[in-house]
Amino acid sequence: MENDLIYFITKHFVERMTHFKTLEYIKNSYSSRICQLTEEKKAGKKIVGTLCLFVPDEIIFAADADRVILCGGKNDTISIAEQYLPRNICPLVKSSFGSVVNNGRSGVKSCSHFGLVDIVVAENTCDSKKKMYELLGDYVPTYVLDLPQKPDSLAAVKYFLEELNKFKGVMEQLTGNKVTVEQLKKEIISSNETRKLLHRLYDLRKTDSPPISGVDVIKVMQKQYVLSAEDFKKALRSLIDEAEKIKADFKTDFTRKPRIMISGCPMPGGNTKVPEIIENRGGIIVVEESCTGTRSFWDLVDESKDPMTALAERYIKIPCSCMTPNDRRIDNILELAREFKVDGVVNYTLQFCHGYNIERYKVQQALRNAGIPVLSIETDYSDSDVEQIGLRVDAFMEMLS
Amino acid sequence: MISVGIDSGSATTKAVLVIDGQMITRNIRPTGFDFLSAAKSVCEDVLSNAGIDKKDVTGIYATGYGRNSIKFADRAVSEITAHTMGVYYLYPAVNGIIDIGGQDSKIISVNDGRVTDFLMNDKCAAGTGKFLEYTAKALEVPIEELGNLALVSKEPASITSMCTVFAESEVISLRARGFKKEDIAAGLIESIARRVAVMVRQVGLKQNVAFVGGVAKNAGIKVFLEKELGISLYVPPEPQVTGALGAALYGIGKNSIV
Repeated sequence: MENDLIYFITKHFVERMTHFKTLEYIKNSYSSRICQLTEEKKAGKKIVGTLCLFVPDEIIFAADADRVILCGGKNDTISIAEQYLPRNICPLVKSSFGSVVNNGRSGVKSCSHFGLVDIVVAENTCDSKKKMYELLGDYVPTYVLDLPQKPDSLAAVKYFLEELNKFKGVMEQLTGNKVTVEQLKKEIISSNETRKLLHRLYDLRKTDSPPISGVDVIKVMQKQYVLSAEDFKKALRSLIDEAEKIKADFKTDFTRKPRIMISGCPMPGGNTKVPEIIENRGGIIVVEESCTGTRSFWDLVDESKDPMTALAERYIKIPCSCMTPNDRRIDNILELAREFKVDGVVNYTLQFCHGYNIERYKVQQALRNAGIPVLSIETDYSDSDVEQIGLRVDAFMEMLS
Repeated sequence: MISVGIDSGSATTKAVLVIDGQMITRNIRPTGFDFLSAAKSVCEDVLSNAGIDKKDVTGIYATGYGRNSIKFADRAVSEITAHTMGVYYLYPAVNGIIDIGGQDSKIISVNDGRVTDFLMNDKCAAGTGKFLEYTAKALEVPIEELGNLALVSKEPASITSMCTVFAESEVISLRARGFKKEDIAAGLIESIARRVAVMVRQVGLKQNVAFVGGVAKNAGIKVFLEKELGISLYVPPEPQVTGALGAALYGIGKNSIV
């Protein structure tokens, strides 16, 4: 029977994808990272918390500080945040704030690294984050990096460069270390290495039979800004090694599964609800147009230019929905759909994320014109809508196959 | 070839028996608490109606909210695909489907019997059968009569709440202000028609649109929806069973490929 064959292949395929030793390491790396951060702090190193890709790692590292991401993906801390914040703002903002405020106080488990940061370097992206940071300042020193929101002008790059220079000064003051051009250049090369490794990992997914599931890649991407840059790079290298071997061993073609791109809001650690539904119901995610995906590494920093200018130019071009116009994102989605031979796109948004929710219309139009089916899912961190989303995903898979 | 399609919905469970591509009989039961036992009962109903022995059945196919709990089914298919196949069987010219069920509404774009796009209401009862059920209760009108009552109205009241709970209090306050029963009923139906019409326009359905699901049995809603959309809608003789019918046909399609 054809059905039995598909079942066998699916089962075999899924088993095959869980054999990565590196994924085990990544899954279990959190507690050792906490030890590492605690040790660093004892030794006098400063820990910077960030919540957005717009804050350049390179400047933090050049000042010899460490950084760790504070974006919340857990549902548990949302009710704590709702004591302070309105109910109708996005779950990511509420979850992040709840984790900082909670910090072990209320019996709800939240990530321990939130209590280790010396400073939060925030950014002017969406309104909810911007106003949340004003409250966050009461709990942990918070510095806000301003972003020009019409990025396609010389004036915007110039302004952003000024902002980055101010931020560099804040890092120097915090750490007592001078940020030199040499240090910046070194850090740019190092971060570009990570970006190139991620490109290699994503290249493997362009094949007809991707050696790694989307959920697994998303779990790796969620650790990108949790782990130290060096540990993340090491993990990536070994993951790529493993994945390349599987690719070489494996000859059969599994083109039956619809190839899905997930596009939209970030998916911070603790939140893989929608990707799991997609892959449990017969799809294979081959690319994420997301902060937890291509937006974090797609463009490299120009190593030949003055480092601060090169950083300003690269970072201001991140296609976030807080920017206007944001046609760069639409172009990027179409380009990714072609490169990764995508059969359908799941436009994933968080409730009350106005930027990405409004951009949905443009994304849908562009994809429809390109003949690529789209399924839009707007959700939060709770499990209350798993069945409803499951139905939509089932129907979408049936439509694609 | 004998196949049974079961649509395990949130309010009712439907079964359709199809023999050699022809719909033979169908049955509908309230779902109650236990999805599985309701499914078993309707399945037995259609088999005994037609005098068919269970062992002669080629396949049983489930759809609907409870589709994955129907353990005795050979395969499950989403309601969206099932409704499309069922409606296409009854109305081959179909280009679009509006399905208003107990707890959700679906808008499906169809080309040559295949789903090309679809949209469902958000996780909320706005624009569903539940909305009508609750608000009819607040109006002290049996749900079956709500549509016909609304047709009598000359001046529909304006109901602005999309939220079922808030709409219920809105109905009570309109009653307190002395509005006529039929005007409130018309207001309720107009509000659901408006909500559904927005979704229809989002998907871009223009002609050859079918209206199915339990709510389609309500003549008043069809009239209001047609007025809102400016098109006439095709309602199958038994709009509640198109999902179950489609599931049965889906099974046959799959088997004929193998």
